[in-house]
Amino acid sequence: MNASVYRTAVLIAGLLIGLTILPHFLKYHQQDFLIFLTINILVVVSYRLVTLTGEWSLIHAVMMGVGAYTSALLSKNFDISFWITLPLAGVAAGTMAALLSYPLFRMTQFYFLIGSFATGEAIRLCWIQFIKPFGGTGGISAIPSPELLDIDFLEPIPYFYLVLIIVTICVFLLYRIEKSRIGLTLHAVHWKGVLAESVGVNTWNYRALAFIVGSLFVGIAGALKVHYIGTVAPKQFDIGFMVFILIWVIVGGYRTFYGAMLGAVVLSVLDEFLREVNQLRPAIYGITLIFFILYLSGGLERLPQKIGSIFRMRKQGNT
Amino acid sequence: MGFQLQQESRRKFLKQVAAGAATVSAAGIIPSRAFSANKTLTVGMNIPMTGDLAPWGLPGFYGCEIIANNINAWGGVTIGGETYDLSIATYDHAYETDKAVQGMKKLVLEDDAKMVMMLGGATVAAVLPWATRRKVLTTTLLPSDITPDSEYLIATCESHPLYNVTGVEYLAREFPDAKTAVIVTNNDVEYGLQSTATYQAAFEVAGIEVVDTNLHGFDVTDFAPIVSSVLAKNPDIFCMATSFYVTPIMEQLYHQGFTGKIISCTLDYYHEIIQKTSVDFVNGTIFQFPDFDDPALLESGISFPDPAGFDAAFRKDHPNDWSAVAWEYPVILLNWLENAKAAGSVESEAVIAHMTNNKQEFVFGGGDWWGSQLWGLDNVLIGRWPVVVVTDGKARIQEYGDLAGWLEKNKDVLTKHMKNLGLRTI
Repeated sequence: MNASVYRTAVLIAGLLIGLTILPHFLKYHQQDFLIFLTINILVVVSYRLVTLTGEWSLIHAVMMGVGAYTSALLSKNFDISFWITLPLAGVAAGTMAALLSYPLFRMTQFYFLIGSFATGEAIRLCWIQFIKPFGGTGGISAIPSPELLDIDFLEPIPYFYLVLIIVTICVFLLYRIEKSRIGLTLHAVHWKGVLAESVGVNTWNYRALAFIVGSLFVGIAGALKVHYIGTVAPKQFDIGFMVFILIWVIVGGYRTFYGAMLGAVVLSVLDEFLREVNQLRPAIYGITLIFFILYLSGGLERLPQKIGSIFRMRKQGNT
Repeated sequence: MGFQLQQESRRKFLKQVAAGAATVSAAGIIPSRAFSANKTLTVGMNIPMTGDLAPWGLPGFYGCEIIANNINAWGGVTIGGETYDLSIATYDHAYETDKAVQGMKKLVLEDDAKMVMMLGGATVAAVLPWATRRKVLTTTLLPSDITPDSEYLIATCESHPLYNVTGVEYLAREFPDAKTAVIVTNNDVEYGLQSTATYQAAFEVAGIEVVDTNLHGFDVTDFAPIVSSVLAKNPDIFCMATSFYVTPIMEQLYHQGFTGKIISCTLDYYHEIIQKTSVDFVNGTIFQFPDFDDPALLESGISFPDPAGFDAAFRKDHPNDWSAVAWEYPVILLNWLENAKAAGSVESEAVIAHMTNNKQEFVFGGGDWWGSQLWGLDNVLIGRWPVVVVTDGKARIQEYGDLAGWLEKNKDVLTKHMKNLGLRTI
């Protein structure tokens, strides 16, 4: 094992141990916050997979909703266990993405962005218009929480551990995909699309694959969320939430695997701290975002490099 | 005898709150609890204070602050032999379900809130499983949130949208020639559809034919074509039900020359509508939410301490923020305090037991528990509800409608229309 891999393994192990004991030091409502933040980690990491091909979609939040509604409807109407509806939520979102790939990937770049937004809104409007079975704007409530032995998953700490395990597995799988031959091809489709096509890579297939796999994982994230809250409604997956996903990824940075996660963690924690200032919160949050974009245009992932370069310049100045 | 004693105690309490208002007004100060030796009694508000629905959250907090300051100026509230200063703890969930869940737990477990007031809708559905299990008394402005299992969820002020039937009764009686109506409102389940079903039922009972119903989405930015299409049916009455878009719709009605009767659940910020249209146009519009400087609120049977003083205090500090919820959350707060005093406890189980086992006095008079007929539990407090008409550019109460009487006679018609729109009923 080389030193770099060893350092990474130690860092991840330390992080997981830290996360395991963290909820016991948090206040009750902060434990809930930690659950939602962990779920959002899966949301941004799965979104990153879609962006690897260079396509920025505005349908990712809705795909999360597809998973959430699937799991909610199956468990509430057919009394199917959470342990079955959870993977089915991913399958449903992935299948929906596969179907949508045909019209959506006839477009690229800005047209794809607009097309994905329009398609997402169409799905969301179906949830609103068809009160049966989707419940309209009010959505579906009284969704059962998971059942396993005598564990009370309505309480935040047991549910956090469940979420931590599932999200860790999903993030690991997404990491392996990115580092695999498929992941390298996705990068090639983005940065050298024409060259990739010239050597026989079917770029359409790879763009669609990234979209389907990303949707599959975000569908699981949707199911995880609604089985804790106990309710699912179209507003949870609206363009407002999609904008937050974009902001987390952009502010965190999308060149490294951890950039998007960093963005989600830093901005969500900031938002939580700003709760004390009530109505001033959106203004302060906005100013902070502008600051990040102006002075850290490469995202938070570039922060160590920036700090390093400042120190190097000072050192050179002194000598 | 017991009820009489309770009534006297209640009146005394409300007088104290009103006297507190006078003290605060006269001194021009907000009393500080820094010098008080009283314990603190915290009531929670898990409401939208930012975002699209902030107008139905924030004014309620301002209103509750006035009530709390008045009570504290009087020396606090005594419950079960203990005197407390009242504190209002808030959590801004911005109408997001996950934040609402966090907010509920913060208010109850960290701020020690004994009762939590909420707006209603999906945010209430999200907190219900935990709040019910923890037996946290929670209030909503939307009784349609109530389910057969939600025994700790109550609606003690707004019985949305049931009270809208009183406006239609008034309209039908005062304007017997108005025989056709159109309904234009948003297509959400919590507000628009519930309200549409209620207006449809009320129109049917009043012998008024609904010739068109336009349920639009939240993506509409131009109301001109919608208003044109329904006005093409030549209706005598234009009904907005519970619309989020009252101002732009009123503007369109004005520009398209509508001269019939206008009826709506709310007419929030009607002064702005007058500025954008005209006094003559807005005059005669019927809705359901009074200003609190209305002289009709001084008549007997109204159990709100010094409504005019409350209205003045609110508008002094927040001149542009008055909305329907400005007085509704305070009404809920006062009702809870009265019941806690009478129960001798601030704990949810004791307070709700006292509420449901004793005669309640609704803020505008009357007071009956209702709701099992539609939602499976009698946790909605209904009573007389004001019919308000804009007169000389000012909202003025014309009469108090008998909601309980209407429901007694016509609940089957209401249920039929709710089912037709796919709404949840038992």
